Amino acid sequence: MADPMNVVGRPTPRLDALERVTGQARYSPDIRLPGMLYARILRSPHPHALIRAIDFAAALELDGVVAVLTHENCDIEWASGDRANPRMLFNNPVRYYGDAVAAVAATDRHTAEAAAQLIAVDYDTLPFVLDAEEALEPGAVPVQPGGNLAPPFGALAGGGAAVPGPAVYERGDVEAGLAESDIVIEDHYVSKHHNNAQMEPRTAVAQWESGKLTVWTPTQGITNCRDDIAEAFGLPYEQVRVICEYMGGGFGNKNQCQDTDLIAAELARRTERPVKLELTRKEDFLSIHGRWPTSQYYRVGAKRDGTLHAIELTGYSGMGPHIKSSGDIAGIDFYQCPNVRKTVHTVHTNVTTSANYRAPSYPQGVFGIASVLDAICHEIDMDPVEFHLRNATRQYRDATPYTSYGLIDCIEQGAEAFDWSGRRRPAAVDAGPIRRGTGMAIGAFTARLGLSNAMLRLDDAGTLWLHAGVTDIGTGAKTTLAMIAAEAMEMDLDRVEVVWGDTDRSPYSVGESGSRTTSHTGFAIVEAAEDLKRQLDERGPPGPGEELVAEASPNPTLDGEQRYSFAAHFVELEVDTELGGVHLTKYVAAHDSGRIVNPLTATSQVKGGVIQGIGMALHEELLYDRNTGIPVNPGYYGARIATHLDTVPIDVVFVDTEDAHGPWGAKSIGESTIIPVVGAIANAIFNATGRRIKELPIGRDRVIGAMS
Amino acid sequence: MTGITRRSFLGRSSAGIAATATLPALTAGPQEKAAAQQSGPAPRTRIELTVNGESHALEVEDRWTLVEVLRDHLELTGTRVGCDRGECGACTVLLDGKNIYACSYLAVWADGKAVETVEGLARNGVLDPLQQAFIEHDAPQCGFCTSGQLMSAKALLNEGAEVTEQSVREALVGNICRCSNFLNYQAAVLAASRGA
Ligand code: FES
Ligand code: FES
Repeated sequence: MADPMNVVGRPTPRLDALERVTGQARYSPDIRLPGMLYARILRSPHPHALIRAIDFAAALELDGVVAVLTHENCDIEWASGDRANPRMLFNNPVRYYGDAVAAVAATDRHTAEAAAQLIAVDYDTLPFVLDAEEALEPGAVPVQPGGNLAPPFGALAGGGAAVPGPAVYERGDVEAGLAESDIVIEDHYVSKHHNNAQMEPRTAVAQWESGKLTVWTPTQGITNCRDDIAEAFGLPYEQVRVICEYMGGGFGNKNQCQDTDLIAAELARRTERPVKLELTRKEDFLSIHGRWPTSQYYRVGAKRDGTLHAIELTGYSGMGPHIKSSGDIAGIDFYQCPNVRKTVHTVHTNVTTSANYRAPSYPQGVFGIASVLDAICHEIDMDPVEFHLRNATRQYRDATPYTSYGLIDCIEQGAEAFDWSGRRRPAAVDAGPIRRGTGMAIGAFTARLGLSNAMLRLDDAGTLWLHAGVTDIGTGAKTTLAMIAAEAMEMDLDRVEVVWGDTDRSPYSVGESGSRTTSHTGFAIVEAAEDLKRQLDERGPPGPGEELVAEASPNPTLDGEQRYSFAAHFVELEVDTELGGVHLTKYVAAHDSGRIVNPLTATSQVKGGVIQGIGMALHEELLYDRNTGIPVNPGYYGARIATHLDTVPIDVVFVDTEDAHGPWGAKSIGESTIIPVVGAIANAIFNATGRRIKELPIGRDRVIGAMS
Repeated sequence: MTGITRRSFLGRSSAGIAATATLPALTAGPQEKAAAQQSGPAPRTRIELTVNGESHALEVEDRWTLVEVLRDHLELTGTRVGCDRGECGACTVLLDGKNIYACSYLAVWADGKAVETVEGLARNGVLDPLQQAFIEHDAPQCGFCTSGQLMSAKALLNEGAEVTEQSVREALVGNICRCSNFLNYQAAVLAASRGA
């Protein structure tokens, strides 16, 4: 058991809970500046088309319309919108239904909306391709000039000339491994576009004052967002200020800057007035991004005693026209295996762009590999818990030790909390229309270390001011970081005030993505506190009008180790084999996230991740009309986003691990929570019905299809 | 669970409440007013409505929704807009005690009616029991759906019927939470209904 601490480890309500329950919390859409214009975007009604001409004279004639931007009069590049190809704010050709064609600024939103409708665009429609594998067939329509196969993301991140091709990872000899296996399963799994659907739609408010640009925008990383905006406008960083006081969720789609930030800023520059650009929910669904759809071909071999011996995965990720993130298909690294080959193609298609959504490459990959391994368990008649105890990773890629390791504890303690041995039954034993089943899956997510910054100021009233470049996207980061500061300074939490969400007032932060905030910024706080305590010892408390200030910018690294958080999830459910419904009845989520700083908010993270995963497994999908290339259900209702009726009681188990890094061994939590969910549910559906459903979402249609 | 000990609600919120009470009825800037005059045909109607117990006489464009009037003209931004098309519940307010989607309700229809928003829940510096329970159960994550969850929960408790786990889920089904903190919202509403 980790040592008890004074503040860290105690369930603590959020410091800003009051602002959140009284409506006082100020989000970007709440910003209203004197003289502010409202902007709206006109978007492509075609999945792929060349713009021959745009005529916006009628729009400009409308009373109240101040400016119109199109690809003809605005050539600003949105660098973070595509790592592989140049991406402008307005592109010609347009490459997906919803691509931005023009933006209008007017004195009110209704006028802006009306004006956008008055813009006449002459399109030459082009053939389009929606599916990643079809996009790689000979003769497929080129979505980008360089072809439809993108370079591996790792090559892009390294800079330099990147050559199109799949990302390949290999160890051992997979062909020999398959030949040596007693049982080989060959199968194909398909996952779909799954929208982040964060509650707060994209809104950006931009204002220029004496050459300095201020942008209020919902972002997970104020520093990255500021840097991206500065680069796009050729400004020094100090000339750009990004403010995000409160943020209504993002789950990965509010990293860096969005085109909305740049369009609002450009309209504000041209009109010399503040501009607020608002996206509708439909635009948000189509023009930001969601989780990439995948097609996964597996060949997996095991020995008769249940030892995993070979894994081959060939995968295709449909990224839309632009490459914003890896397109990887992850999950096979959760297992020990001597012979592995993974080949993943990231492919351009004419659908809405895909990029990061909570544990970006994992839940879809785990759906595939966890299903295949469950099939192996079934074939050799081995209990999945036993199989996982035998095969779960012990070292990263069987080579590099972990700094701390609680995966086996997660499996064992989770199974016990779930009463796995009592509940688990052979597959398809119920005879009636309602059939009960159990399933499990595991997960791991990096708890990496890295550069961050924190500043502490102790004033003469004894208040500790913590300056941290976070926005608190809903994770509770402000509270977690204040707790770390209080603990490090041996002070009461009441005496800590957090200064956040403003690049002019808070220092560099890596941004709230990649489950990094606690490890990175938390560690910087501990270091700054060491310095502050040293100053206190030397100089005593600050006198009247004085302050003690300490700042730290640590950049810790790992030597020959990997740092990961782990999870094992267990689910019981009922399948209605006649009507196709799936009803969850029990869920246990066991997690190793190192030391838990705030058990109250950490538990909320787990529950939230699990329910997002339930939605992905059973309902959610962005559907396209294959004849027109037009998405038919962009919105909460159409995409069947989870509601209060999709919940199941969730038991959260945190296993104890001691980790020598980060703030007192705290690892990561936000993303590992969603990783095993889809795999565990799919396996439980097999256990209930004896039918394995290989395409997401596992809706009523697919269940009924599988039963017939 | 520990109660909120860190901040005195009284000290912080009184300023907010006072500011709400002294708001002008229509706060459009001069440019906007000029523009609206020029653009001529957008028809306008005078309405009177009560918001959080205070009456307002306003001239609204017929196309304005109730949530636009609340947020943009009465500066009550605690009511959020998640979809603006009746799918998410972020904009939920009470209209004569019943929960409605303020994004899908025209302001002119609210003439003569009483509206309650999240800003009206706390009275005299005391949180509504629902708000207190929301804090203690860590109901808001990002908080963007919170006002809507609160108002739908308020409508449920207003009905005075027995509150059960199932009735809470059904009462809140029109309020999506993408942080998916549904379980904490449900627990908080149940606790508040029992005076816990
Ligand atoms: S904003 Fe009204 S229901 Fe979504
Ligand atoms: S708390 Fe974020 S949407 Fe509900």
